[in-house]
Amino acid sequence: MWGRFGLKIYIYIMLFLMLLPFFIVLPVSLTKTSYLAFPPQGITLKWFIVCFQDRILVESLILSLKLAAISSALVVTIALMAGMVIERNQFRGKIFLETFLTSPRIVPVIILVIGLLIFYYSIGLAESFTGLVFSHLVITIPFAFRTVLASVVTLDVQLEWAAKTLGANWFAVFFRIILPQIKTGMIAAFLFSFISSFNNVTMALFLSAPGQRTLPVELFNRLHIGGITPTTPAISFLLALMGVILFIVLDRTLGIYKYLAGAKG
Amino acid sequence: MKRIATFVKSYKWMWPLIPAIGLIAVFFVLPMIHLFRLSFLKYDPNQIYLPIYTLENFVKFFGDIYFWNMIWVTIKVGLLTTVGVIVLGYPVAYYLTQCYGIERTLLTVGFLMSLFVTMLVTTLGWAILFLPYGLIQQFLEMFGLIAGRLQFIKTVTALVIVLIHIHLPYAILILAASIQAVPEEKMQAARMLGAPNYKVFLNIMIPLTMPGIVSSTTLIFMLAVSSYLVPVLITGYSVRVLPIAIWSYTSELLNWPFAAAISVVLFVITAVGTYLFLVVTNWMTKRGQWEMV
Repeated sequence: MWGRFGLKIYIYIMLFLMLLPFFIVLPVSLTKTSYLAFPPQGITLKWFIVCFQDRILVESLILSLKLAAISSALVVTIALMAGMVIERNQFRGKIFLETFLTSPRIVPVIILVIGLLIFYYSIGLAESFTGLVFSHLVITIPFAFRTVLASVVTLDVQLEWAAKTLGANWFAVFFRIILPQIKTGMIAAFLFSFISSFNNVTMALFLSAPGQRTLPVELFNRLHIGGITPTTPAISFLLALMGVILFIVLDRTLGIYKYLAGAKG
Repeated sequence: MKRIATFVKSYKWMWPLIPAIGLIAVFFVLPMIHLFRLSFLKYDPNQIYLPIYTLENFVKFFGDIYFWNMIWVTIKVGLLTTVGVIVLGYPVAYYLTQCYGIERTLLTVGFLMSLFVTMLVTTLGWAILFLPYGLIQQFLEMFGLIAGRLQFIKTVTALVIVLIHIHLPYAILILAASIQAVPEEKMQAARMLGAPNYKVFLNIMIPLTMPGIVSSTTLIFMLAVSSYLVPVLITGYSVRVLPIAIWSYTSELLNWPFAAAISVVLFVITAVGTYLFLVVTNWMTKRGQWEMV
């Protein structure tokens, strides 16, 4: 009885500590002073408005969204193509191929990014948006591939046979028979790739051109180079809020546990 | 010609694999081979590297006590983080599998939401808390535990706290999945035969969730020894870990061959760490009884 009670107290202390850094950025960004102050000196929403007026910030947000959208759409397509073939056929080296496609996760990201940086300089992709997209594909494909594979397994082949017998071409079979069955898995793969790509700092920090910063890189520069004004905690609070909302929405619609188990940042 | 045609025809079904295999081969395998090769090339201040094979990068690295110290600090930070994450996360994962309804939603969101938020936000939050005369100092002063300016922000302790926070959700997810899979009947059977709680935990729970413990431990160790954003932002250059050295040799000093050599060392540390951990757990849990990883 006491053990159970003690566990509960421990859980809620941990919960408090886990949420503390997210909550602390709110009061700090509400201060009227132009430096960080806790407790805040007066309450104002000035710094939140400044966020949206800052052209560099808005541009970096747009770049981040563009990068995440393009790379996650591509990664899901690539993973689906490979996943279908691997699931449907028996061939030598099948297990090897599955391991191969998830292999980027065994190498630490810092090593991966240095390798890509040096490689990009030798093939002329350095500081380009294309190079950045490819780097994001590499880090998101292990998770996307596993998610896709898990949902491709659930496909009912007999439905496809029936459709083909009734004269459907492969195009119709794919869009009207296969896709509706694996819709949820595809959406999950897309959204999780999108989120991990949007939040990724490392790749863009090393690989993008100096004037072309994604939002996390812009945030990193502001934290690292210093001169923190209350705008930085204000952006952070907005990002945390967005994360919570997305999390709750996805938990309610798709169920988080099922998909996140294989995730890696 | 005909043979080529039949060959192409018999492997035609494989074409959808091309983008995926090509992506990994070109943008993962090739850069890694290139990096490995670079670590054996000679550094040159003007052309960055010369095509002359040499061991001088590794000689320079292992001949310097400064870098040995760096390896030690890196491993120490990695181990402290891993142990902290597993010990703190296991009870949380257990509790998550036992609760339901609104409490489960609340705890899931609270513990796992940081997966959806860039780690910079977490880092900034802790940095604000750790600041001299910040919230943690005010809290500790309230109980009269410290006096004067708190020098916390640049220490290993601060670094490990932030790293634990960032990596805890991954461990909770993996551990919760394996705790969920433990059959309830086994625990009830042990209890009926008179086993006290700690024995049920040690003899039933731990062995049955070993695969989860192993895979979360190896994952967290790899992520922790290779993290550099948090060290850069929390401790700056006062706690020197290998990833920071890789970073500064790449982007500040432009000595790529040496950065490549440090990368190889870091990779070997993660690989050897994982391997040693597997050997030890296999030995401790009587090899072959559970499928590892």
